[in-house]
Amino acid sequence: MAIDRRKVLLFGSATTLRLLLFFAFPSLPDLLTGRVEISTPVTSFKRLQEGLFLYTHNVSPYDGGVFHQAPLLLSLFALIPSSIFSPLTSLLYIALDLLCVNALIQIAESDEAGSSRLFTSPRRELKWDSVAIGAAYLFNPFTIATCIGRPTSVFTNCAILYAISKAVSGKPMSSILALGLASYLSLYPLLLLPPLILLCYDRQARNKKVTLYISTYSVKYTSMFLGTNVWFLYLSNILTAGSWEFLSSTYGVQLLLPDLTPNMGLWWYFFIEMFDSFREFFLGVFWLHLGGYVGGLCIRVRKQPLFVIITLLGIFAIFKPYPSLSDTSLYFAMLPLYRHVFPLMRYTFFAMATILYATMLGPAFYYLWIYAGSGNANFYYAITLVWNLGLSEIVADSLFAVLRDEWEVERPEMKGKDVRQI
Amino acid sequence: MDGELNQNGVALTLELARYFKRWSLWSKDIIILITADSRAGPQAWVDAYHDEHISPYVAPLPIKSGALQGVVVVDNALDHHFESIHIVYDGINGQLPNLDLFNTAVSIASGQLGMRVALQRMWKHDDSYRERLQTMLRGMVRQGLGHSSGPHSSFIPYHVDAITLQAVGEGGQDDMAMGRCIESIFRSLNNLLEHFHQSFFFYLLMQADRFVSIGTYLPSAMLVAVNFTIMAIALWIRSGRPPAPKVATTMREKGSKPDVDIIQKDGMAAIMPKETTTILERQMFVPVSLAVSLHFLGVIPLYMFNHCSFETLPYYFLLFTAVNLVLPTVLAAFIHHQTSLTAQQYLLLHSFSLLLLGMFLATLATLNFSLSLFVGLLSAPLSFIGNSFSGSVEPKDVFPSQRRKIISTVALQLVSPPVVILAVCYFWGTNVGEMLVEAAFGWKVNGLWMQVIIWCVWWPAWLAGSVLVSPAL
Repeated sequence: MAIDRRKVLLFGSATTLRLLLFFAFPSLPDLLTGRVEISTPVTSFKRLQEGLFLYTHNVSPYDGGVFHQAPLLLSLFALIPSSIFSPLTSLLYIALDLLCVNALIQIAESDEAGSSRLFTSPRRELKWDSVAIGAAYLFNPFTIATCIGRPTSVFTNCAILYAISKAVSGKPMSSILALGLASYLSLYPLLLLPPLILLCYDRQARNKKVTLYISTYSVKYTSMFLGTNVWFLYLSNILTAGSWEFLSSTYGVQLLLPDLTPNMGLWWYFFIEMFDSFREFFLGVFWLHLGGYVGGLCIRVRKQPLFVIITLLGIFAIFKPYPSLSDTSLYFAMLPLYRHVFPLMRYTFFAMATILYATMLGPAFYYLWIYAGSGNANFYYAITLVWNLGLSEIVADSLFAVLRDEWEVERPEMKGKDVRQI
Repeated sequence: MDGELNQNGVALTLELARYFKRWSLWSKDIIILITADSRAGPQAWVDAYHDEHISPYVAPLPIKSGALQGVVVVDNALDHHFESIHIVYDGINGQLPNLDLFNTAVSIASGQLGMRVALQRMWKHDDSYRERLQTMLRGMVRQGLGHSSGPHSSFIPYHVDAITLQAVGEGGQDDMAMGRCIESIFRSLNNLLEHFHQSFFFYLLMQADRFVSIGTYLPSAMLVAVNFTIMAIALWIRSGRPPAPKVATTMREKGSKPDVDIIQKDGMAAIMPKETTTILERQMFVPVSLAVSLHFLGVIPLYMFNHCSFETLPYYFLLFTAVNLVLPTVLAAFIHHQTSLTAQQYLLLHSFSLLLLGMFLATLATLNFSLSLFVGLLSAPLSFIGNSFSGSVEPKDVFPSQRRKIISTVALQLVSPPVVILAVCYFWGTNVGEMLVEAAFGWKVNGLWMQVIIWCVWWPAWLAGSVLVSPAL
């Protein structure tokens, strides 16, 4: 088997950097684990350790209202002997990052971004090669911070990336299985199912392998997805000694938002300020808003299902109940696949500068609020608004660029001209 | 404070302790802390109180009594009656105590007891514009340096409001007056069971009863910081422009029309050469990696000035100053040797360096206004190096002329961080060694991060600017 030297170099250097950060600065992992930008109530490594402690001492981890993560994670981490827990988990998280990159490289090599079944971009020549895309992910400071902070959302990210990479390599079964794992771990990837089925279908139809109509196809794989999830839930039920308690404290927390620890998202502040009588209504509205994008995007960008998935990941990083840096890093990992539409984007510099500013000001305002006591919650909330403004700028701008790219194929005479709404 | 024995202060504190015991109205514990050293001592105690101490150097403190409400430091080293009270209020890293605590102390001392109140060592304050300005500037310098200004400074980072009352001058006030003043402040703290809420933490004092609020002063620092961002955006836009069309030659060639664009807006149309509306692809790898690596270079002086011994510190500093004189030229020659920067990369490097500087300063302005303002003002020339205000991207317009390069280099060398530090030391008549020791002490003991700002924000930005105008590039 030919080993790509550049790939080895990339993996090696990324691993070395992470090992250096883990072991040369022993206080760094704990510092990052405590940051609200990295650890949310549903992904925090500290809470995982707490749950693990209870689990190994035969107390139900879901009793206390602290632990909100899936039972499978518990049994996975319970396998690690406690004497070498910390170095082994570091290695596990480094390995996860490398797995993510492996999947990302496969997606990049499939060239689905440049030409899907229904659409081939005229700009597809302009792209980064897969190793560069992998490097952009591995050396992204957000990814590194996430890896060192060890939130369990890395598992979800990895599963999502594998679901996509299997989909583009024409293996719908494994793809759906991976997505099932992702949504079992943190629920929201459920919304990626429709575009993922479209992606699987397109990929197979392109190679003339598929004989089913798309409706039957999607029914088949949706039921398979449901089966996967039922299987995972049943497994969890066995692992937690036959109790269904975990359902309400994992998915219930995601859905109903009882824990209002500050994070980078937009939900916590709203629900802190809201009168209790409106709570149910607005929970419905917020979830509906999040889910509403799926249908619209699937229909509008039907020709490029991969881009639908990427944009949805960006939207999740903004609007999901407990977003963290790891969601942003996943979005930024996928975005370079559409390198060819970057020249069509209009506000890249502005958006990136906004995000950089928010990255600096966020911790500063958090410090003023929590430690110095001279600021208040509004400071931090204001900066999360700025952060999300920057992100939504990028999401909207990339969507514009892709639509523009499609439009220029339809109407070549309009190339390079301004669009106007009539 | 000031290296004198706090004899009367300690005596008065012990006497007050006896007096306080007789009263039953205190709704809290009163802790009396007497330390041998006026700066490391309180820091060690407050660290241990919050279990944040570094274990082998500071012993733990097992007995605690809840969150600290406020701290009043009594400092009276005089062996005669004093004239007025000097209130010191600056905390570490330019953080300030709640203005209400300060106001309480001022109104008790001057209103009830009729003592004069001084601040920032302005012993004679006649409420003139000049005096107010001087008080404010002294406060800003102290805030900018952010070092410990008294025993109270160590408490402020833990969100404990703290001030020092220092007896100064020769006059008619005796220990009795000081004791009454402290007792009244304690009773006022007593009334505020709830923490001071919704009051000022960001202020600049001009006089004991006049202050400038954040809404008034913050815009200045923000404008200074934003100037770098605006410049960065301008340079970014400029870097995306393709080189200007050679109008003279294309017109002469028959049959080849210049590429034009018709731009319509509000019913009007304009014909523009194609080149002005299209955007070039930017080559960003070299400028981004240069800007980032220059910032990582800042770790070297930071480490050097915090880890070498007390005796060698001034020599290292002089060595660093000397190296710093030639460093931009060496770096520029090195970069030139490796890869010759195109006009676009030149603009982008300038843009990214300014963007980072603007971003750091804007963040800093919310934490330590004065430091941000001073660093911003001192690095303002960085916006104007190169041919900043031309829109052209021709190499001859982008790269400054040799004469301009030399002038800019000299100008930048005059505002380089080591030169500024030397100048400040000369101006204040302090020894460079003492200054550096003070900074290193603050870094180790108090968690002072002024040095981080100087070496990892200001110096890299300056270095990037100097490399850009270096004649060797």
